[in-house]
Amino acid sequence: MQSSAANLLVLVPLLPLVGAVCTVLLGRRLGPRAHLPAVAGIGAAAVVALLLLLGTANQVGGGHADPTHPVEPVEMISTLWQWATVGDSRSGDLPAAEVGVPLAPGSAVTGGAFSIPIALRLDPLTATLLTIITGVGLLVAIYSIGYMHDDPGYPRFFALVAMFVFSMSMLVAASNFLLVYVFWEAVGACSYLLIGFWYTKPEAARAAKKAFLVNRVGDFGLALATFLLWMTYGTLNFHDTHLADGTIVEGILGEFRLADEVGYVGGAVGTAICLLMLLAACGKSAQMPLHVWLPDAMEGPTPASALIHAATMVTAGIYLITRSAPLFVGCPGALTMVSIVGATTALVAALIATVQNDLKRVLAYSTISQLGYMFVALGTGTMLGFTAAIFHLVTHAFFKALLFLGAGSVMHAMGGVIDMRRFGGLRHVMPITAATFLVGACALAGVAPFAGFFSKDEILAALHAKAHPEAHGSDHAEAGSAGERPRDLAGGVGLVASVPVRPFRPGSMITRVSLSDAHDVSHEKVGLDALDHPSTWRLLFWMSLLTAGLTAFYTFRAVFMTFTGPVRVPKEAGHHAHESPSVMTMPLLVLAVLSAFSGVVLFATNALSGFLSATPSLTAPAVVRTAVPHVFHWEIAIQGTLAAAIGIAVAAIGHLGRRSDSPQLERYLGPLGTLFANKFYFDQIYAALIVKPLEALSLVTAFFDRAIVDGTVDAIGQVPLAWGSAIRRMQSGLVQRYALAGVVGVLAIVLALAWQLRP
Amino acid sequence: MNPDRNLGTLLDGTLHDTLAVSLPHFRPELCLAATIVLLLLCRMLPVLRLVDSGFLALGGVLFSLFFAWNDVLTLGGGAWASSLGDLLAGRQELFGGLLAFDSLTAYIRLLLAGFLVLFILFTKVSGIPDREDGADFYTLVLGATLGMCLMASANHLLMVFMAVEMASVPSYALAGLLKGRKASSEAALKYAVYGAGAAGVMLYGLSLLAGVLGTCHMPTMARALASLDSMWMPGGTGMALAIGGLMVAAGLAFKLSAVPFHFWCPDVFAGAAAEVGAFLSVASKAAAIALLLRVAFGLGTTGSGPDHAVQMAALGETRHFIVGVVALLAALTCTLGNLAAYGQTNMKRLLAYSTIAHAGYLMMGVAAAVALAGRDAGASRSAVAAVCFYLGTYVFMNLAAFAIVALLRNSLRSEEIASYAGLIRTNPGIVVATGVVLVSLIGLPPLAGFISKFLVFSSVMESVSLDAERPLMLVLLVVGGINTVISLFYYLRVLKVMTFDPPPADRTADAFPLVSIPGALVTALVVPVVSLGIFWSGLYAFARFAGAFAS
Repeated sequence: MQSSAANLLVLVPLLPLVGAVCTVLLGRRLGPRAHLPAVAGIGAAAVVALLLLLGTANQVGGGHADPTHPVEPVEMISTLWQWATVGDSRSGDLPAAEVGVPLAPGSAVTGGAFSIPIALRLDPLTATLLTIITGVGLLVAIYSIGYMHDDPGYPRFFALVAMFVFSMSMLVAASNFLLVYVFWEAVGACSYLLIGFWYTKPEAARAAKKAFLVNRVGDFGLALATFLLWMTYGTLNFHDTHLADGTIVEGILGEFRLADEVGYVGGAVGTAICLLMLLAACGKSAQMPLHVWLPDAMEGPTPASALIHAATMVTAGIYLITRSAPLFVGCPGALTMVSIVGATTALVAALIATVQNDLKRVLAYSTISQLGYMFVALGTGTMLGFTAAIFHLVTHAFFKALLFLGAGSVMHAMGGVIDMRRFGGLRHVMPITAATFLVGACALAGVAPFAGFFSKDEILAALHAKAHPEAHGSDHAEAGSAGERPRDLAGGVGLVASVPVRPFRPGSMITRVSLSDAHDVSHEKVGLDALDHPSTWRLLFWMSLLTAGLTAFYTFRAVFMTFTGPVRVPKEAGHHAHESPSVMTMPLLVLAVLSAFSGVVLFATNALSGFLSATPSLTAPAVVRTAVPHVFHWEIAIQGTLAAAIGIAVAAIGHLGRRSDSPQLERYLGPLGTLFANKFYFDQIYAALIVKPLEALSLVTAFFDRAIVDGTVDAIGQVPLAWGSAIRRMQSGLVQRYALAGVVGVLAIVLALAWQLRP
Repeated sequence: MNPDRNLGTLLDGTLHDTLAVSLPHFRPELCLAATIVLLLLCRMLPVLRLVDSGFLALGGVLFSLFFAWNDVLTLGGGAWASSLGDLLAGRQELFGGLLAFDSLTAYIRLLLAGFLVLFILFTKVSGIPDREDGADFYTLVLGATLGMCLMASANHLLMVFMAVEMASVPSYALAGLLKGRKASSEAALKYAVYGAGAAGVMLYGLSLLAGVLGTCHMPTMARALASLDSMWMPGGTGMALAIGGLMVAAGLAFKLSAVPFHFWCPDVFAGAAAEVGAFLSVASKAAAIALLLRVAFGLGTTGSGPDHAVQMAALGETRHFIVGVVALLAALTCTLGNLAAYGQTNMKRLLAYSTIAHAGYLMMGVAAAVALAGRDAGASRSAVAAVCFYLGTYVFMNLAAFAIVALLRNSLRSEEIASYAGLIRTNPGIVVATGVVLVSLIGLPPLAGFISKFLVFSSVMESVSLDAERPLMLVLLVVGGINTVISLFYYLRVLKVMTFDPPPADRTADAFPLVSIPGALVTALVVPVVSLGIFWSGLYAFARFAGAFAS
């Protein structure tokens, strides 16, 4: 079972990779069928991922477990090979082990020498995300067959999409922070190439560059976080590694450390690690202040926006924080920062979205806003928060992909026009697109019983529990007793004590944190941790509720502007604006069904949160202690629905049945409208504070480079040339001269040695 | 005392030593020798002339490869988990001390046999030698390889001389293989004359050393050296030793094509067929580096014994001398090789200078290994492992480079760099393959050449940080770094010509496509260059195994 699952797990990234390579090699020969290898590869990977999901669910125990009942962590590690092994036991000298520096990420086989295990893992979180990535990836790839039809870069597009699915699968399956970093960069590279897919368009090239540069800031954070993790824990592995000599290197998220109440580092170092990870997540998941790249990324092909910049890649930040949950729960300050960043981003992005006229940009800001929502949930640091974030990630992947593909369908029919003021009443022209878009809009706006309603409800419930600890006190007491139950974890604590375990790296700045204190509200808090206060959470709750209302407003504003009112079609569309071909509408229908029903099914059966609670990261005692029974929060559902209803009503008043180029709401907002329309002037502020000074600096350095560095290099370049010609002249072809040169050379060496070895 | 009985014991002992101890460890060489005999027999009988000598040679080499592999496994105890102690216990002297059988012997023999397999396949694809010359060519190649195997295992200065001659004399003939080509014959003659001179100098040096120390058996010589008070003792003994050592070094430097004994190399490479260049630049170089390790460690260190530490300390001055000579030659060789490669217009000549430069890098590793031997045995073993790893990757890089030259010659009828202009438009695959090989020769990640250079330079760095000959090693490190940068220019210029320059108007034939038999050969050689840059743990384990010889 284990080995067959391991083989299957490898297939998930491998098949899209093979598809990508085949597309690159055969692309030109396949011509209009260049999509075949990529679609087949991603499709097969989707089937395998689904099998793995079912298998994992089976292992967890039906997937119906309540998160309040501690479940055995389920994980399976598949080490493909040890990479970059330096030093080995046969030589008898182990430099690293002897001087006691932290040992390698891993070091499974080689007895303490440096090596990097290329290891994949399968656990509920990974299985869920793999299914989403390959499933949505498959639908987007099929849709692209119609959408990218006749594009000169047809094979390139499919090669990149398959490459992206490979990288993203590796990112969520990697069991090592180093590999996570590698594929963090790899998905970024795919994203860069897809944003700049039409690289002859200056806007696309500029957007790609912007995405790349802004992401660098976040990636820098991840690199620093990785360094700090290495310095602190002496390993970068998630899982425990068993050495040949019987010792165990505790993985950062391995079962021994998870079971250990004082297994994680808190204090300044712990908070620094978490904040650096948060910076990384902000870059990849487009959170403030690094969100500016995502709206511009819409210059890429719409299917790529749907897959990468809505459904999957941008959720990498959420994945990273969920995966590192045990690190975060020890640092309440950092956790609260996660929520503050998320709530602020959600609100600001929603405000900007209300006045956008470009349909894709509305969706882009909506994506930023919804990702902010997930961050808010993560920041609560409770079991409900983590599972709600992933729940929302799943439903959001469905409905946001649906909305983007719907927008792409509109754009396809309108001859590339995406400005909502230039068309209207399209429900008569493209009924399937309109209907499915409406389903997606309902899901996004949180209309019951569509998918987004349930996941948003859980997020708000998680926030409410933090904001009103007294109201949920009974839950806590119950959860507390559940947490104190001794967890039967691979033989329990006894085994932990009996196995020699590598300790922390000795160092003065590291303080272990007792995770049992982390959620004690009465505990004296200083510095950043002081932010973790019910009043903060109350504010965050109201911000999120306001965002929910705004979300409903801008979503339905877009729906009304695009699909209702008198039929208007821009001249670019020609005379035959029509519904998209079935290869494009089929994925829309599938996603519409998922957007409509996934929420209610997953919520009613409690399948997802119970399943996710078996993820090793979420079985840390500090997380398990916060688990609450699975209930439907009526009061919160009513508040949420009320917010959505108000939003939709305002949108209806402003736009339902009117021409989409009629006056906009922003006119009533006065200066605020201008502020929103200009996206809070983020781009201008960055331009003034960062871009312009850097450009000025670059002028100086460019001059320095051209005049001084290049000049020096050119001058140096002449030296070997001159020497070379001199030496070539020595190569006269006359063997007598060679012999003479040899003798002279020996004499020179004798003289040199005599000087060097002089007694 | 019964003299007859004594003689009998001696004979019995020799017989036992030869049959039971030495010959079983000599099977790879025996296979090569038997194949040579078979090849010559086939020449004599008209019926057997139908047998393709290339495939016959390939068969023999495969047997040799099998036994060489077997030796590696036996020495490693059948598994890679065996300890250093086991490895050292497997170390033996063969043929009464003439040869040493240890992990370095096993590794280099495996390397040579593996290289020969690839090399023979390459010659079958490239078509040189033709059928008529085949038997001669492969006889010479196998004969030279036999000599190189002996170079890698020589434990006695006479054996050193014998092995060098056995490897060199067939090489002279190989250089003149292109009969009727003036350049080829001239190259062969120059090579022979220069080689003869070098051999004479080396023999003189050997006799000086033997005269002072009273033996040619290297471990015994090392003990004798250790018992001397100082090299700079009065009475000229020290001077005789130093001069003798330098003369031996001159002979080795000739084999290594180290400056200032490198002059034969560009002329021979440019004059001889690219196939011969491939053989000389890889096999000959690997064997010469192994021999340098043998002599340097043979004279500069002693095996384990009760007074090991005392002996090692006493040999400090000898090692200081060896490190001085090797480091000086390494720095000169590397720098001159790289500088002279500038402005070359002939690809084979450029590769000849590149070969010289790489010999310099390899010698830096040897210098570091010897310098570390007195300071930290483990670090010294790592340095030897770095050199052995370098040799392992060098097989693929250089063979691929020469294979591309030979195969392009077959289709373009030219070996001038200018004739490669604009190849990317018709043959992107070949240009990519060439690019991979050249970038690996520069030593840029993520290719095999980078790991090799990194390991060697880090060994040099290790001796700097452990204060083993620190100033000298610091100089080597700087020289190595500067040279790497210099080499960037001339390697990349080839790529620039291939990609940016417009194709010559008079080009009549296209280069071979990547999807063809020659293309498959190039791919097969380039894939290891890439994959060894990523999966280097396997080869490194072998190299560390070889490095265990130094203790």
